[in-house]
Amino acid sequence: MTDSTEKKLDSAPCLRWDYTFAFWALRLWLGVRALFVGIEKFAAYHSVAMPLIDPATGQPDASGVMVNVNVKSYALANYAGIPAAFGDKFTHEPLFPKFALVAFDHILGPAFILTGIMLLIGLGTRLSLIVQGLLFIALTVGLVLIDQDAGVAWLGIHIALIAGAFLLVEYNRFAVLKKW
Amino acid sequence: MVDPFLNRREFIGATAVAGAGLLLNGCKSDAGQKPAAAKSSLNTINIALIGYGEEGKVLLESLLNIEGVRLVALCDIWDYHLNEGERYLGKIGNRVRVYQNYEDLLAKEKDLQAVVVATPDFWHAPITNTCLKAGLHVYCEKMMSNTIDGARSMVKTMRETGKLLQIGHQRRSNPRYLFTLNRLLHEAQFCGRLTAAQAQWNRAVKEDFGWPKKYEMPASTLAKYGFKDMHQFRNWRWYKGLGGGPLSDLGSHQIDIFNWWLGTSPRSVMGSGGLDYYKNHDWYDNAMVIYEYPLAEGVARAFYQVQTTTSAGGGYFETFMGDDGTIKMSEDPSLCAIYREARATAVSWDDLIQKGYVRAKAVSAEDAAKVDVRETAQLAEYEIPVFFNKPPHQPHLENFFNTIRGTAKLNCPADEAFSSEYIIHKANEAVAAQTRIVITAEEVRA
Repeated sequence: MTDSTEKKLDSAPCLRWDYTFAFWALRLWLGVRALFVGIEKFAAYHSVAMPLIDPATGQPDASGVMVNVNVKSYALANYAGIPAAFGDKFTHEPLFPKFALVAFDHILGPAFILTGIMLLIGLGTRLSLIVQGLLFIALTVGLVLIDQDAGVAWLGIHIALIAGAFLLVEYNRFAVLKKW
Repeated sequence: MVDPFLNRREFIGATAVAGAGLLLNGCKSDAGQKPAAAKSSLNTINIALIGYGEEGKVLLESLLNIEGVRLVALCDIWDYHLNEGERYLGKIGNRVRVYQNYEDLLAKEKDLQAVVVATPDFWHAPITNTCLKAGLHVYCEKMMSNTIDGARSMVKTMRETGKLLQIGHQRRSNPRYLFTLNRLLHEAQFCGRLTAAQAQWNRAVKEDFGWPKKYEMPASTLAKYGFKDMHQFRNWRWYKGLGGGPLSDLGSHQIDIFNWWLGTSPRSVMGSGGLDYYKNHDWYDNAMVIYEYPLAEGVARAFYQVQTTTSAGGGYFETFMGDDGTIKMSEDPSLCAIYREARATAVSWDDLIQKGYVRAKAVSAEDAAKVDVRETAQLAEYEIPVFFNKPPHQPHLENFFNTIRGTAKLNCPADEAFSSEYIIHKANEAVAAQTRIVITAEEVRA
């Protein structure tokens, strides 16, 4: 291969479709992940009493007994940015100011949904990756404070994916807004 | 057993009245505000409640939940209760006519189809027999009577009149009991061979019922209805000649379950008990009895105890024990459980879990530690996740009214209830004699 050919490749990274596909994989994964993490914060399970179904007939059991079935529903009223179990632990954590907990609880879900959509459509890709990286770091700090080591490890994987995405972001194509 | 379904003539008559009633109701703007004026029909069954004491109040709460049933009359010998009931029903828009004497009620109420009897036990037979002969279907609280002869007369009248007579052993219509019996005990055979049963009702010391002095009944009225004084009227359950004591009052529900679930009657009963705590009762305050049930695969013994001085020992429940598993039932769902023996392999428990019939608890038989070589592995515990969201008496009353309509079959007709109640009378005899009494298959039949 000649020098001129190498220079041509270096100056036109967008033509490396293998890198582009690698970035798309990261962009879509992180986008979908963030979007649905955010949406799930509006989900809740409610116990609903329903007749027990006789498997043989598909009809309600003749005895008339009921069973509780967990039904999932989405609503604004269900929103919980920080799961209740963790929220209780943060409340008793001296290094975690209460106002920060409240603020973080409010912004976490909407921030994930927003940055997820931005990544999926390619709107301010770098910016949304930065915001997600900051969210994951903030979550890491919180989980370290309440001794959730497994959660910290999972977040570490997410941070590695964000870092990988930054390395490949110059190969980004098919974006609504390439700037930022 | 009496035919629970209406004959052709009754059906045509009743549906004609129902149609006419609907037509008339449709023409009246205030039809909904005058329920007592509507004609009784299959769609709307007019009933009277005779006896508005502690049990009558419980039954009323269930009756008010049942669609197509209209309470038009209330009867109680005590003005205090009668006025209380009339006021309560008036407040919820259910005006009733009130009577002190059930014979007056029957003479004046000509548009009744059924009565619910919740009087003291010794009045059950005379009132039920009179109502059946008056052409009414009867739901009568247990015990049928305080005497075997009284109970037998009720079955005889039921057969002679062809009217329905449901006895208030309400567990027989409890959806959880029906589900567990049909799905788990019969269909899945999860107990294997039934070898023993145990039931109890342990209740803490309870003060006798009192009464407001200014509402005390005249001695003549008390005497007319068979009571010596107000204390006896308010606490009739503990007096011989009026009630049957704790085996009858508390135990009859559960001893009835022995007969129902084991599918037969016992061949003997032995008992012990006494009046050891209360000073002003006739009946003993504690009893322990053992029945011997001849099942197809061998004998199963059933132990029953009732304590009225302690609620210890787990409250009230019925346990059926087999070589593969055990079921613990109670009207209180929190006390129910299923236990699997480590040796049980015939039943697919995963299948039962998959169907939603049982739910596993955390501890498994394999995890259990043994402290002695003679000890068997700890039982694996399962829950029965089913429930029903009605008051306990409502399904049994619904079964009664649906049978009147011809859409169901009585779950506890008087002739079946007689077999259960007969062995309770025999248990009382065994306790009194402190001995074993043989019961033949013939004598338990009415």
